[in-house]
Amino acid sequence: MALSDIIRDNINSLNYFLPELLLTGLVLLMIIADLLLKKERSPWMSIIALIGSGVVLFAIINQYELGSRSIFNNMLAVDEFSIFFKLLFLATTILVIFLSIASVELSGRSVGEYFTLLMILTLGLFLMASATHMITIFIAIELVSIISFALVTYLKTRRRSSEAGLKYAIYGAFSSGLMLYGISILYGLTGTLNIYEIGEVLAGRDTNSLALLISVLLIMAGFGYKIASVPFHFWSPDVYEGAPTPITAFLSIGPKAAGFAVIIRFFNVALSNYDGVAEQWLALSNINWPQIIAVIAAATMTLGNLVAIAQDNVKRLLAYSSIAHAGYALLGVVVLSSQGVYATLFYLVVYYFMNLGAFFVVIIFQDIIGSEKIDDFKGLASRAPIPAIAMGVFLFSLTGLPPTAGFIGKFYLFAALIKAGPEFYWLAIVGLLNSVVALYYYARILKAMFFDKISEGVSPEPLKISPYYVTLLAVLGIPTILVGLYWAPLANLASHSVHFLPTF
Amino acid sequence: MLSNFGSILFFLIFGAVFVCVNILLSRLLQTRNPYPVKLSVYECGELPEGNSWIQFNIRFYVIALIFLIFEVEIVFLFPWAVVFKDLGMFAFVEMLIFVGILLVGLAYVWAKGDLEWDKPEQVPSPELYRTDNVNSAVKITESVAS
Amino acid sequence: MIPASYYLYLSAILFVLGIIGVLVRRNLILILISIELMLNAVNLTFVTFSNYWGVYDGQVFVLFIMVAASAQVGVGLALVKTIFKKKAIVDVDKFNLLGQ
Repeated sequence: MALSDIIRDNINSLNYFLPELLLTGLVLLMIIADLLLKKERSPWMSIIALIGSGVVLFAIINQYELGSRSIFNNMLAVDEFSIFFKLLFLATTILVIFLSIASVELSGRSVGEYFTLLMILTLGLFLMASATHMITIFIAIELVSIISFALVTYLKTRRRSSEAGLKYAIYGAFSSGLMLYGISILYGLTGTLNIYEIGEVLAGRDTNSLALLISVLLIMAGFGYKIASVPFHFWSPDVYEGAPTPITAFLSIGPKAAGFAVIIRFFNVALSNYDGVAEQWLALSNINWPQIIAVIAAATMTLGNLVAIAQDNVKRLLAYSSIAHAGYALLGVVVLSSQGVYATLFYLVVYYFMNLGAFFVVIIFQDIIGSEKIDDFKGLASRAPIPAIAMGVFLFSLTGLPPTAGFIGKFYLFAALIKAGPEFYWLAIVGLLNSVVALYYYARILKAMFFDKISEGVSPEPLKISPYYVTLLAVLGIPTILVGLYWAPLANLASHSVHFLPTF
Repeated sequence: MLSNFGSILFFLIFGAVFVCVNILLSRLLQTRNPYPVKLSVYECGELPEGNSWIQFNIRFYVIALIFLIFEVEIVFLFPWAVVFKDLGMFAFVEMLIFVGILLVGLAYVWAKGDLEWDKPEQVPSPELYRTDNVNSAVKITESVAS
Repeated sequence: MIPASYYLYLSAILFVLGIIGVLVRRNLILILISIELMLNAVNLTFVTFSNYWGVYDGQVFVLFIMVAASAQVGVGLALVKTIFKKKAIVDVDKFNLLGQ
């Protein structure tokens, strides 16, 4: 391609890149605003962030009308799939901003950098969702990782926070090193870094399957780190416990969903004979990808759930449960069919509501009673009925009991799995058994809140819950039930979003 | 005839042998006269002042980190500079934006006061010195000098 | 010409040394150095393959890896600094507040 064509393509792409450009502008604006607004704890930074997010939201919705296109010389893709994820990420960011405003943990320190970093993190997530080139995938993952390290450590004076950030940073650097080595081997095998071209080359000729297997397993190390799947989950309980709780909530949704976006796109475009419209993506013939991912999914679910049983700290328990949920969401990736991807997308949205909700209840209780231990949750239902009932809804949904959204999400996942053929029945059984285990430890929290007597020495007076909290709980709790009863709109959105850019 | 790699191999062997032979030679030829001052820290002929394990000012770290980031970003300017003429105006504007974003970062660091180099009147706390070591070193030096 | 496979062997050795360093070393600074070693091994592989295929995107990737690695190390060292300031330890085995 001539140089002038490349430049013209770059200029034409700017229009499709509007949300990211706006977000970049917003970040720069916030950096400067933080310098000008000298006052500590001024609410302006959060207001700027919210207004900016609103503008970006419109730009994203506008992308639906522009249509699908590969931009910046096939570096990024604008398609329904990426738009879906961008909406999910922006929704996460907006909600986390609201949670952060409420959080007592963050009060008393300057929040300007906090919100700026949060918006940069969102930019990184956007890039992860639309990256179609190994360089952009790497840059996006690094952007998300590095900003996450800083945010996890935001409570500088709390040693747990710094310690968690450091662990996160070391695991992150290590796994990105592994991923890069995998990418370099794949580059050596195919001679290209564009995932569409990689797919073509791999489909077109026989490659050394051992080298291919090693390279993809190494690349999975980087992706698996992002979604916290076994065996790259070690960081997540520590980081979730040590980080400020709003950031924990963000990390359990944002980077995880972005990791799924990258995994789905990479596997379906580069490693299978995807022809754009087919119902079934055929895995490459010489290596059994689905079974490899199936083993990872089964291990992730089982480990997350089994370790969660032993936890006394609710935040840590939710961390292990979010590992387990990454395993459930991987079930849809295992199938490698559009139905599987559809189920995963649906599940991620449902997971957004129920997991953010559960973390929000933890934030509320942490602010009021100053503890995250299950034992300290005893009898809270009588003292603070609204958050307790909301917690019940979220936990039922996380378990997957009807009539909540979690049930529908799990139903789609298992349906896709069963439909894919008898070789995945074992995985479905493992998944179901895991749900039973999950019921046990979620029920422990509920038992402590609803059935246990209030511990001695704690006054049984009702706790005051501010209307702000109640509103946010409603925003998260009502969809969790509503989607469980009437899920057609969300299902439509998810099925509409299973469209990658077929080719560049 | 040596291939390219052969000459490297030769170089490696020669280097290894050269080092080994010289160390061995000096072992054979040296005179042995150890005394304790030889073990003290060399400070250009001055008497050693305290322990060398003192804490450096934490500002060194901050400046070094900031330097590290900005220095490495420059690596993107090199490939651009090589093909600057072919790329023309668009790439120039792109690079201006890139440098502009870096400048915002620099301005931020500056305004937050991380580039200030204040020199506090720092008297290192006595615990930092291991006085017994210092005293013994001084004693030894004096005894040798007398 | 030195065959490409020699470079690949070298980079594989460097990479494995880096991994061993990360897993075995207990000093944070040395762990960060080992990670740098891994990334440099990757860079060597990329340059080798870029030369082998005669395309430049591998070399471009190397630039990005260098920049990302420096940012990562920057944040990592800053974290080491904040922890060190509070308590003078750089031994990872002593980081055990979490999960108790």
